Amino acid sequence: MLKINTKTGLSSLIIFTVLLLAWVAGFSSRLFAVIRFESIIHEFDPWFNYRATAYMVENGFYKFLNWFDERAWYPLGRIVGGTVYPGLMITSGSIHYILHLLNIDIHIRDICVFLAPVFSGLTAISTYLLTKELWSAGAGLFAACFIAIVPGYISRSVAGSYDNEGIAIFALQFTYFLWLKSVKTGSIFWACMTALSYFYMVSAWGGYVFIINLIPLHVFVLLLMGRYSNRLFTSYTTFYILGLLLSMQIPFVGFQPIRTSEHMAASGVFALIIAVAALKYLQTMLSKSEFKSLFIVGALVAAAVVFLAVVVLTYAGYIAPWSGRFYSLWDTGYAKIHIPIIASVSEHQPTTWFSFFFDLHVLVTTFPAGLWYCIKNINDERVFVVLYALSAVYFAGVMVRLMLTLTPVVCMLSGVAFSVLLDLFLREEDTHRSGDSDVDDEQTTSSNRRLYDKAGRVPKMKHEQVRESDGIGANIRSIIIVVMLLLLMLFAVHCTWVTSNAYSSPSIVLASYGNDGSRQILDDFREAYYWLSQNTDDNARVMSWWDYGYQIAGMANRTTLVDNNTWNNSHIALVGKAMSSNESAAYDIMTSLDVDYVLVIFGGVIGYSGDDINKFLWMVRIAEGEHPKDIREGDYFTEHGEFRVDSEGSPTLLNCLMYKLSYYRFGELKLDYRSPSGFDRTRGAVIGNKDFTLTYLEEAYTTEHWLVRIYRVKKPHEFNRPRIPFSNRVVKSQSFISKKNTKRKKGTIKNKPVIVKGKKLLKQA
Amino acid sequence: MLKLIIIAFLFTNFHTKTTNGAIINKNVERVIDLSTQLVKISSAITLENTGKDAESKYIITLEPNSIRNLSFISAKDSYKEELKVTETKNELGQVFSVKLNHPLAASRTSTINVEFVLTNSLVPYPSSIVQKDKQLVRYFGNHYFYSPYLTTKQTTSVIVNTRSIENYSKLKPVSQSDSSITYGPYNDVAALTVDPMIVHFENNAPFLSVTRLERLIEVSHWGNIAVEENIDILHTGAKLKGSFSRYDYQRDTSNNHHSIKSYKTILPAAAHSVYYRDSNGNISTSQVRARKDWIELELRPRYPLFGGWRSSYMLGYSVPSYQYLYKGVNNQYALRMRLIDNVFDDMHVEYLETSVVLPVGVTNVKLSTPYEVERLSDSIAYKYLDTKGRPIIRFAKRNLVEQHIQDLEITYEWQPLLLLHEPVLLSIALYLLFIVVIIYVRLDFSISKPEHVKTQ
Amino acid sequence: MSKTTAVISKFYKEYTSKTPKKLKIIDAYLFYIVLTGIVQFGYCLLVGTFPFNSFLSGFISCVSSFVLAVCLRLQVNPENKNQFHGISPERGFADFIFAHVILHLVIMNFIG
Repeated sequence: MLKINTKTGLSSLIIFTVLLLAWVAGFSSRLFAVIRFESIIHEFDPWFNYRATAYMVENGFYKFLNWFDERAWYPLGRIVGGTVYPGLMITSGSIHYILHLLNIDIHIRDICVFLAPVFSGLTAISTYLLTKELWSAGAGLFAACFIAIVPGYISRSVAGSYDNEGIAIFALQFTYFLWLKSVKTGSIFWACMTALSYFYMVSAWGGYVFIINLIPLHVFVLLLMGRYSNRLFTSYTTFYILGLLLSMQIPFVGFQPIRTSEHMAASGVFALIIAVAALKYLQTMLSKSEFKSLFIVGALVAAAVVFLAVVVLTYAGYIAPWSGRFYSLWDTGYAKIHIPIIASVSEHQPTTWFSFFFDLHVLVTTFPAGLWYCIKNINDERVFVVLYALSAVYFAGVMVRLMLTLTPVVCMLSGVAFSVLLDLFLREEDTHRSGDSDVDDEQTTSSNRRLYDKAGRVPKMKHEQVRESDGIGANIRSIIIVVMLLLLMLFAVHCTWVTSNAYSSPSIVLASYGNDGSRQILDDFREAYYWLSQNTDDNARVMSWWDYGYQIAGMANRTTLVDNNTWNNSHIALVGKAMSSNESAAYDIMTSLDVDYVLVIFGGVIGYSGDDINKFLWMVRIAEGEHPKDIREGDYFTEHGEFRVDSEGSPTLLNCLMYKLSYYRFGELKLDYRSPSGFDRTRGAVIGNKDFTLTYLEEAYTTEHWLVRIYRVKKPHEFNRPRIPFSNRVVKSQSFISKKNTKRKKGTIKNKPVIVKGKKLLKQA
Repeated sequence: MLKLIIIAFLFTNFHTKTTNGAIINKNVERVIDLSTQLVKISSAITLENTGKDAESKYIITLEPNSIRNLSFISAKDSYKEELKVTETKNELGQVFSVKLNHPLAASRTSTINVEFVLTNSLVPYPSSIVQKDKQLVRYFGNHYFYSPYLTTKQTTSVIVNTRSIENYSKLKPVSQSDSSITYGPYNDVAALTVDPMIVHFENNAPFLSVTRLERLIEVSHWGNIAVEENIDILHTGAKLKGSFSRYDYQRDTSNNHHSIKSYKTILPAAAHSVYYRDSNGNISTSQVRARKDWIELELRPRYPLFGGWRSSYMLGYSVPSYQYLYKGVNNQYALRMRLIDNVFDDMHVEYLETSVVLPVGVTNVKLSTPYEVERLSDSIAYKYLDTKGRPIIRFAKRNLVEQHIQDLEITYEWQPLLLLHEPVLLSIALYLLFIVVIIYVRLDFSISKPEHVKTQ
Repeated sequence: MSKTTAVISKFYKEYTSKTPKKLKIIDAYLFYIVLTGIVQFGYCLLVGTFPFNSFLSGFISCVSSFVLAVCLRLQVNPENKNQFHGISPERGFADFIFAHVILHLVIMNFIG
């Protein structure tokens, strides 16, 4: 009845095969970590996601939404259900559920480990679809292959890196694809699908703000360019209103979409496009002069109303100003001054040129070419991709972390570039195989160059032009093709190399290589966490710097004080203060927080550079932000402004808790015969304060390579109180120092009377 | 102690009734081995029948305070043949009666060897020590062989395997040599006499208990039997007092330390795809060595175990089924596998729970075990696309030692055709999927067309 | 001002004469929705927005019904036929229904 065209059949077979291969290649190149180490969750945040997923699988979805985690942020606790993007957990939880319906009992950990690689295949497919909408199927296939193996994306989606970004990039690309589709057709159906996909993105990652600003920007620019169409109206209004409603269903997002400035652009554009549509409608009905008069009145009224509304709402506090993280996107120095906790994370640093090349390799250079092609023959969709590219480039320059949003667009545009080039040169070969190719080499090169430029300017006609001019010799063509293939090959090699060397370390298992090439696994983190989980009381509270909070909760299953969800700055500052005070002052803080164990990371024995002493200045800074009276960053530097741990280091540093816990009994240890005892390999110095004892704490456990050291906080009856010299045995009468200064004019009442509700306050004589 | 003796004398009045007074222990040579965490007592008993009738029953018993620590008992005759031991209860409490292979005729003598294994009988003293201290333990025993019969002559040697003996009770004649103490000979000891013996000595053997062992055996007729053991271990020696110092631990290179760094597990020779992991993933510090008749696995817990520290892990491996699964007539199958396997030498398992997952669709399942176990209720497991569940046979036992490593046997009936169940299911599912895709592709035009048609 | 009123009256005349009946029905629906929206807004001004999500869901459902109806109107309008390639009025209506199904499911979830 129906004849399936053999040609379309063949091309769809090719597309299917290429996409399948891209999926397989993407999946398998992400497995380095699993093959080298094992199927394990990596790093820090994934441990929380894993723990939350396991909780959800065990206790069901509704319990998960109402989960109050009392094991984190002791003594405050954390409302987990309302402070996470649940998309990731729901995704893997439902995969787990479906597999268990089929009685395939796979452990939830394995699903979590392999989720990101599987989704990378879906990302490749959605990138293909997006690029196909944008340019052509050939470009789409290129883009799909690029995104499958590009290091910038692999860095966030290797097996075991179970994080929001792994699925969010898929959601991002798919939302954009559906958006373009709906702009193209103007169909409500596609706009609804866009909204649904956007909903998935909102549930998965905070980066959804990128979508909700980029799409309005696209619409706005189209309006400015005079490219308004009814299709645009249908797709945007439907998408916006459904997307708004859907995004508010995520508990963590809540009413933010109508209350914060980040989302206001979208609603502004929504109002604008309705206004434009109304005007256009009137335009069809009325003559020009009539329209003009109406337009002026209407525009004035609308402008006044919008302006007043925004002012009133902001003034009344309905619309929150931009958040700090958002500010730091515009002003790169902002975080460093105001929010040390954001600045202390390495992935929030500005990107270096090196990392652009490292993560994207040859695509960095071909991407502008694709962009150029898109600008050259612009249409509605290509406006979008141009905006996407420009904004993503900017954001990627601001924060290393946002390289991730740049990567897909770079792949797409490079796909376009490569596809155009190959189109140009491969097609030629076919047509010219029969024709004579005895042309001078010089001529060919010059004509080639010319043609190349021309093709860039008017690519639509490129085939005809090239055909007409007969200019390119077979040799040149083959040389160019070979060069391009070489580039692609180098790209693939680079990607594999980067993936295997830079991005495939679980970071909780370290590997070191001996001189003979033998591999030694340093499993100290898990050693310590497992020790904690087996040999401490179930309700023991462990104090550590916030980096390790999620891991302690996930692997040791113990209560932590602070963790990687850095929502409470003052609590973190308190821990920082404890770490940077001397032992007795720290003991007071620790007893007030009911700390049972203190865990520090110390890399001095094996030369691990990410240890707590190297992070120590951030602790001091964060503590200083909240307790400027007790902690001053300057005290931890030498007179010359250096941070050093040897005998010239500042005495405050050499006596603070962090120093003592890191170096307790390290002064006696001789690492090898050449170096003196107490030689710190990470900092390359002999430590300054070697011989000290701990009064309030005792060593509870230290791992094999001293990487993790755990101390037990003694109970008050367990230590001998340090003798107070007689002269100090007086109750200090505090001389009152006025805390008032120009900044702080609020007074506080000393000995504030306690108000007992329902009782008259008795006068005390 | 005096009380015990009085009780013992009370019992002597009874013993003529309960046991056969005609038998006397002519000579008892007892060896108490205290060199490990277990107490192994082996006694060579020469019996004499002083009565007139032939005797075929001999009663063994243990001191009342150690009988609850008894884990294993066995008796052999002089030809090393196993004798049947049955547990009974009488006025003496729990006793074991041994059935002699050849009835002992009047005024003849015969020799049997009795072996006891006791657990939890070496008590660390002091009960907690600091890291650099030596671990000292005390053993409370009996100078005399505890028996319902009169013992004419007996000697006891206590092997402690160390020179540093703090203290021991001295009931003459007694002598101490290199690593053992010899008591006796004592002559003409009345039945059921107790005289407390205390030995206080250094013991650095690993004091490691398996507090819980869950053994899961999965039988597949595709040719594989998967074994997985979930093991919780606890260092039952003297508890660590104060801090653990890695520095001191690294400096102390002598092997003779009360902490446990590693131990060896023996697996069957055919075992393959071995894994050793815990809830946080693979434990990278293990080594597999293939010996001639077995596979030796050197396991290192993530951290050295000190007194009172616990750890848990999961050990799994697969063995080919042809070595353990036997086919009988009429689709009858028999599975012969170890009920418990070696965890480490001189092991002590407090609680064992073994589950055997049988293939889908087995009927007529029968379990026979070499010793008594507590049968738990059967359950059903669903694996890989099962529509019908697989039955799980579960049972448990407390207080086991190495000597309990014996085979269980499960017989069942099973149709080999059931093996094809899942492949067929899978292929049907794929077939359906393809058909749906084909239909979808064919109908693709017809879905959108009517709308176009309608518009015109 | 008089000019404006003249324009409006002309607009009204144009509208009644040129617009097809189908579109007029949709316009009536739109008018009804606008009224509902105004009532809701007035209510919230008078009484307050206490269950904020309920107010929001009510108001947003109004806005979105309005927007969707406008979209439907655009797609059904024969003048726009060349703009919406491949979307027949029936298809447009089916999409409209689909969007409403999603919308009301979400609203029901949100209204609490």
